[in-house]
Amino acid sequence: MRLLRILAIVLLVGGVAIAQSPPLGVGRTPTPEEIRAWDISISPTGTELPPGHGSAKEGAQVYRTKGCAGCHGANLTGGRAPVLVKADKPAGTDPWALGRVLPWRAPYATIVWDYLNRGMPLNREGTLTADEVYALTAFLLFKNGVIAEDEVLDAQSLPKVKMPMRDAPAPIPEWKHGTPRLKGYPY
Amino acid sequence: MAKAMDDSFVAYGMNGEPVRPQQGFPLRLMVPGFEGIFHTKYLRRIKAVDTYYTNYNEYGHLRQDAKDAALGYQIGPKSVITYPSGGQQLAGKGFYEIRGLAWSGGGAVRKVEVSTDGGKNWKPAEIRGTAYRMAHTKFTYNWNWDGNETEILSRCTDEIGQVQPTRAQVAKFFNVPADHEHSFNVPGNDNSIQPWRIARDGSVHNAIA
Repeated sequence: MRLLRILAIVLLVGGVAIAQSPPLGVGRTPTPEEIRAWDISISPTGTELPPGHGSAKEGAQVYRTKGCAGCHGANLTGGRAPVLVKADKPAGTDPWALGRVLPWRAPYATIVWDYLNRGMPLNREGTLTADEVYALTAFLLFKNGVIAEDEVLDAQSLPKVKMPMRDAPAPIPEWKHGTPRLKGYPY
Repeated sequence: MAKAMDDSFVAYGMNGEPVRPQQGFPLRLMVPGFEGIFHTKYLRRIKAVDTYYTNYNEYGHLRQDAKDAALGYQIGPKSVITYPSGGQQLAGKGFYEIRGLAWSGGGAVRKVEVSTDGGKNWKPAEIRGTAYRMAHTKFTYNWNWDGNETEILSRCTDEIGQVQPTRAQVAKFFNVPADHEHSFNVPGNDNSIQPWRIARDGSVHNAIA
């Protein structure tokens, strides 16, 4: 019993000692360049966008040479990966009915850029240059009728693109501790 | 941001050992009660921002309907009977201990009720052990089966008063036409009641399919 009590105290003190140990001498403060390289989340205002530029014509080339068509289809549809072009329906159709298509439904063009830069091509993420990502973004936006074919996208023009569904999504709810998800749901 | 400051944390260990690679070694973000997609594995950086960037998988949470959007983050109250459940076989009429699990992203499970007559009557189940916040909570209910075909169901209520709905209740709330009631998706992570149909021969089936 007594031994157990001593053991408990030793463990406790030991725990505190570990928690208060001086730095272990591993790691270092990252340099501003390293932080910049990892800071890949692009805001709707485009603050974090790197230099570079690209147009839809260049993007069509990148789409072919980087193997995008292999998964997304030569015409941005019909592959095993998500469809990248809105459904071909008469003008005036409810925009939500044109498909869950990122370069059509995204409220900001920066989302398209961020997604391509962060997650494509699958298993070869990070291999696209900034110019290629600008070009592919322009290509996808052109194919969805958002921008003209000769429009050049760069860090200044990309955030200014007015996406067709900019104001369509419902507001994201404010989370509050201890509050039901939806008042009065489901009865 | 409110959720980040409330109870979110960065995990470096689990069950007395470092977080395993398949669980996100060395660091994993935990956002208790929220959909799994928020629990980022292999955490490399945290960046506090003043607007919703809607990048990558956040984009998938955008919805046309505000009510639909409100159900997409925090897991609703959910329970499921694990015994007897679909695919199992009862030997015949007589005594059975109905067992199951309940949980909720709203906090701890406060109450679980069981119905053995297709939802007409509900009786309180017994909570086994302590109902911790965000944790799976075991429940049991003693039942004497009379050998007739029936449906058994469980219904969870969490500590903030949210009640687990039936599919029919959700369909009514969202005005889903009756002929679509069997195929619609319950918004958010489907937390609707799972009914099991017990046939006279003791075989147990999914009562929705």
